[in-house]
Amino acid sequence: MLRYTIRRLVQGVITVWFIATATFLAMHMVPGDPLSGEKATSEQIRANLEAKYGLNQPIGTQYLIYLGNIAKGDLGISFTQKNREVNDIIREHFPVSAALGILAITFAAIGGILLGALTALYRNKWPDAAIMLLVILGISVPSFVFAAFSQLAIVKLNALLGFSLLPVAGWGTVSHMIVPSLVLGLGTMAYLTRLMRSSMLEIVNADYVRTAHAKGLPPTRVFSRHQLRNAILPVVTVLGPAIAAITTGSFVIELVFAIPGLGRYFVQAVQQLDYTVIMGTTVFYGAFLVLMVIIVDLLYGFVDPRVRVD
Amino acid sequence: MTGADAPLLDVADLRVEFDTYGGTVQAVRGVSFSVAAGKTLAIVGESGCGKSVTVQALMGLVPMPPGRITAGSARLRGHEILGTTMLEGRDFRGNEIGMIFQDPMSALNPTMTIGRQIAETLEVHRGWSRARAFARAVELLDMVRIPEAAARARQYPFEFSGGMLQRAMIAMAIACEPAILIADEPTTALDVTIQAQVLDLMADLQNEKSMAIVLITHDLGVVARMADDVAVMYAGQIVEKGSVDDIFYRPAHPYTVGLRAAMPTNADHADHVLRPIPGSPPDLFSPPAGCAYAARCPHAMNICADHDPPPFLPDESGHFGRCWLHHESVAGGLERLRAGAATERSAHE
Repeated sequence: MLRYTIRRLVQGVITVWFIATATFLAMHMVPGDPLSGEKATSEQIRANLEAKYGLNQPIGTQYLIYLGNIAKGDLGISFTQKNREVNDIIREHFPVSAALGILAITFAAIGGILLGALTALYRNKWPDAAIMLLVILGISVPSFVFAAFSQLAIVKLNALLGFSLLPVAGWGTVSHMIVPSLVLGLGTMAYLTRLMRSSMLEIVNADYVRTAHAKGLPPTRVFSRHQLRNAILPVVTVLGPAIAAITTGSFVIELVFAIPGLGRYFVQAVQQLDYTVIMGTTVFYGAFLVLMVIIVDLLYGFVDPRVRVD
Repeated sequence: MTGADAPLLDVADLRVEFDTYGGTVQAVRGVSFSVAAGKTLAIVGESGCGKSVTVQALMGLVPMPPGRITAGSARLRGHEILGTTMLEGRDFRGNEIGMIFQDPMSALNPTMTIGRQIAETLEVHRGWSRARAFARAVELLDMVRIPEAAARARQYPFEFSGGMLQRAMIAMAIACEPAILIADEPTTALDVTIQAQVLDLMADLQNEKSMAIVLITHDLGVVARMADDVAVMYAGQIVEKGSVDDIFYRPAHPYTVGLRAAMPTNADHADHVLRPIPGSPPDLFSPPAGCAYAARCPHAMNICADHDPPPFLPDESGHFGRCWLHHESVAGGLERLRAGAATERSAHE
């Protein structure tokens, strides 16, 4: 187990290095640079700034400095925001995105597993048809549409009640988190529901389920210990990529609901060609996702004893 | 009649149908048998003859829909159990009747330890604590001759071999000391040496616990080794029933004779040629009006095609065969029928 974990972590570091390199190269191939903004800068100021940020060095040297800094955990200083370190930006805004993401993935996983199991148990009856209709909606309608509609619904609801039950936008309290995380998790939940349904249908008539019935176990126990436990395996497998989809997809939701998350800074940085912020957040996101996938893979061994490594 | 003589399980006129896209399949067409304590009843027949469906109907394991029990009764110690899984307020499955299945590789939950799967039965039926049930599970594994039972109980099915899994299945089925063990082709998926071990184990446990066994098989070798009584099934009906000696030495139905002849033998005088029964079983979407075996029977008469034969008793022991050859107007019918068993049957005769 320890050897496997170490091997996975080393692979993870190599993956992050690839991500860092690709980001660096892509960044320098894009025309323009962070200093060629709308404000005209004199040759002298420009040269001074280039020297300050090391942009006058050969690209190979820049790359080495960049890698060295990442290894030290220093992601540099923002080009466009005065005296702000990328580390500070991440430290300040990532927890917001993470809270939103964790809530969304929890909602998506629990909802997807339960709804998927329900559709399988009521196969071809009305609950199945109703849920699957919603699932198709959830997969095909983009999240910003849901976001806008949910805001509209909140406004109507608050007007109807005469007081503010839920805030329309903003961040700070638990009530701020509920609607955005539901909207953010919706697509993933729809996807997991479909996956869970097919996986459940596959094992509903499995031999070991028949054995469980033949042992005289109550149906609830057959469901929880024998059906759910085995049907959940494929869902756990895709949980890693699902976390990726939710965290990287949170940008739109953060914008619509005015949530001060990291996604907003990321996109802003790309527009302004803020080299250090782009590279810093990309490498950070990359490392985060790689870590999530490793954690899910390690957890998978506990869910399915057949892939447990020793 | 004392209570001890009353059958443990009495099945009468069981009928099971399945709705399919092609129509309604009459899988079991009026099956009756009884099981006595401590005895082994073998139900024999080829694939699709309804032998598995029969016991699955008793255990409430026939998926409904598409399955449907249309008639019949099954009394366990006098209590009706057909259409319910409850006996005196408790689930009788696993408690009064244990069951083991054909393929042990897929019949156990891959994500639960063997010990927990055995213990679960005790927790549910006896209300035992996890620890107590698990300790008993280890004892049971030891009883079914699994070495290092304590360590093995903590392992998962994928860590067991096929023969060991089937023994673990047996341990699970007998955990609550059921009065009846139903074994649905318990050795079909195992190789021959392991088959013998599993059968010996079942016989030993039967002697210790005086448990009745209902053994479903298509292997006459297994029947000869294990059974006290045999029911031969064909096309959803029991065509012959009797003691194991009756079936092997005094057969009363041409299908039984055909099955015996089809069994490969290693005897010196044999010519080592396989003798299959020509033809195939009838379509159970619309079973024939007469004897279902008539189309393949070397002795078929005119009456066979139109009239279903009732059970005829060739002697007074309860041995019967559903064949018109036993009718009093057929001269020497029984001799003709059994002659087929002794002399080699030739197709052009």
